[in-house]
Amino acid sequence: MFNRWEDLCNVISLRPLLPAVGLPTPVLPTWCLILYFLDIFHNMDFSIRPATLEDCKDIARMLLELAEYEKVLDQIKVTQKDLEQDGFIKNPFFHGIVAEVPEEHRSKEGHTKVGYALYFYSYSSWKGRAVYMEDLYVMPEFRGKGIGKALMSKVAQLGLAAGCSLLNFSVLDWNKPSLDFYLSQGCSDITADMGYHCMRCEGDELEKLAQGGT
Amino acid sequence: MSNFILRKTEPKDVSDILRLIKELAKFEEMEEQVVLTEKELLEDGFGDHPFYHCVVAEVPQEKQSSDGYTVIGFAMYYFTYDPWIGKLLYLEDFYVMEQFRGYGIGSDIPKLLSETAVKTRCSSMHFIVAEWNKTSIEFYKRRGASDLSDEEGWRLYAIEKEDPLKISAKKR
Repeated sequence: MFNRWEDLCNVISLRPLLPAVGLPTPVLPTWCLILYFLDIFHNMDFSIRPATLEDCKDIARMLLELAEYEKVLDQIKVTQKDLEQDGFIKNPFFHGIVAEVPEEHRSKEGHTKVGYALYFYSYSSWKGRAVYMEDLYVMPEFRGKGIGKALMSKVAQLGLAAGCSLLNFSVLDWNKPSLDFYLSQGCSDITADMGYHCMRCEGDELEKLAQGGT
Repeated sequence: MSNFILRKTEPKDVSDILRLIKELAKFEEMEEQVVLTEKELLEDGFGDHPFYHCVVAEVPQEKQSSDGYTVIGFAMYYFTYDPWIGKLLYLEDFYVMEQFRGYGIGSDIPKLLSETAVKTRCSSMHFIVAEWNKTSIEFYKRRGASDLSDEEGWRLYAIEKEDPLKISAKKR
């Protein structure tokens, strides 16, 4: 159970992940490196690492699985090529991490990449640097093994390393398993607590607004 | 009042931006939640990888506010990503000082931002509004915005880093 962000982060070296997000690598003490290796032994059945260009095919696959679960498959416009172009340029629009299992534990269809999280850096006019977790997904047959928690923990660690004091994300109100998971991690429902509603202006309405229409 | 300009913020604007952020937070009765500093605004908004972008509304000296300010409105935004539809523009804050409302400044700012969104190939502009803020909700709905929390059931979640002073106090 994570009661504080520091608990959620655990004590894992950020060294391997920081260069992937373009941040300077901090000098870490020996105790941190020892705990990093201990953590590797603890998590022998899966590993979390930064997403690469080659992972976009699997991310696109899992993205569609998540969209199907959220009943919005018809809304997907982004392709594998878009992910490659938008996530792996000099100033990427998002960052990704992937959960991978060894070959001998691959899925029924033969996949070893079994979960992912997409995140980007945002900003709170009250608190400053923030990180937004856009997607968090683990294939159904790999749930219950701590992979979701590990992915979210890694996003929190990366956010912390980048100087963020806030981690935000959105959940659909009917998604009870996810709501229960996030509340158990110490997250707050801002929509319920503060009455904040997510608003959107898109497509034709956005064009109309740009042209000065009301 | 037709003679106002909208322009990109410069480093010299950070004290005005923070002032306006606090005024907006005061309106939302959350002024004590603002812990951001001018130094952070400067570091985070003007480097190689800015965390945010900002536009300000400025009036000429002769039209300054009763407190002597010429920067009288602002909007803070950044680019986000939805892996279903691609790039988005996220509007973090948008505020015009009360004394300067009703002159079209509040309409021109979202217009400018949506132009920016279209130019940068964003498919959508997203933002948050408090459900009790009926005036703002009507303002945005008149301009074609939809309420995703009501219509699709999206709920915003947060987890915050605890204040390090609180943590060290607990450890004693």
